[in-house]
Amino acid sequence: MTAGLIWRCWLALVILLALTTAFAFVPAGSANILVALAIAAAKALIVLIFFMELRASTPLIRAAAAAGFFWLLIMIALTGSDYFHRTDQHVPVDEVRAAPL
Amino acid sequence: MREDVLGIQYAAREQHREAVTLGMWAFLATELLFFGSLVAGYLNYRIWFGDAWIAAASHTKIVLGTANTAILLTSSACMAMAVMTRGIGKRRAPVLWLLATAALGLAFVLIKGFEYYLEFQEHLVPALNFDAARYGDTAEIFFFWYFCATGLHALHLLIGIFMVLWLALAIGRGTLESPSPVRLIGLYWHFVDVVWIFLFPLIYLAGRNG
Repeated sequence: MTAGLIWRCWLALVILLALTTAFAFVPAGSANILVALAIAAAKALIVLIFFMELRASTPLIRAAAAAGFFWLLIMIALTGSDYFHRTDQHVPVDEVRAAPL
Repeated sequence: MREDVLGIQYAAREQHREAVTLGMWAFLATELLFFGSLVAGYLNYRIWFGDAWIAAASHTKIVLGTANTAILLTSSACMAMAVMTRGIGKRRAPVLWLLATAALGLAFVLIKGFEYYLEFQEHLVPALNFDAARYGDTAEIFFFWYFCATGLHALHLLIGIFMVLWLALAIGRGTLESPSPVRLIGLYWHFVDVVWIFLFPLIYLAGRNG
């Protein structure tokens, strides 16, 4: 790592922050959260690869770092596929509270 | 532990370096699943509640949130500078970069505290003064999630600030010879930054164009 590389990474991170904040005000429907998460992933990769030095790490360290994210992906995918495909009707909280016991 | 005095379990300095780094990443993996469950919870709530959830998120303070993100990203760059200058054997430079890192971390926590204060003023704090008639029940669930996620993140940052200050003190006094602690605490600091990178769009960027 050199100072030049660190501050170039910082510049990229700040530009991505400005982009994602600006895009949040553009009406793009469900693309808003997808773009926001894609930019977040790009920022996270810059931090992981350069600041957290995965670029210069041994394969063992890289595998250990990737394992955590891989398990997280499984957890999010499985809980998401469950909730996304539930067919029972959503009951608004207000109606539950107003209903007689 | 001084890195120039190897423990008997290590054959070489490189092995020591890899072992301590692997230990840190194993810890960070547990932290990742811990914060990851909060993100999974957010995504499921968002699927469940749809527009009401997104509307609730628009009550957060985007200017303060964006400023805090910039502050945290800058603190990570300072931390990387501390690790880099320490790695090439400097003593004064890493202390200054560590102090800058801690100062930026503290600025983040103070701004976060100011945000909590504003949210208290606006009756947005569940269990204390949430105005469900004004904001709706879904917003109450959102803000419950919000205070859990940002509170746990701020707690991690406070722990990080104390560790960074301890490092600055130890390096400044010359009682810490090994470059490993700076590198490992640096990994922790950057990880807390990565968590925020994902919390930021979920909390602050939802519901800004509706």
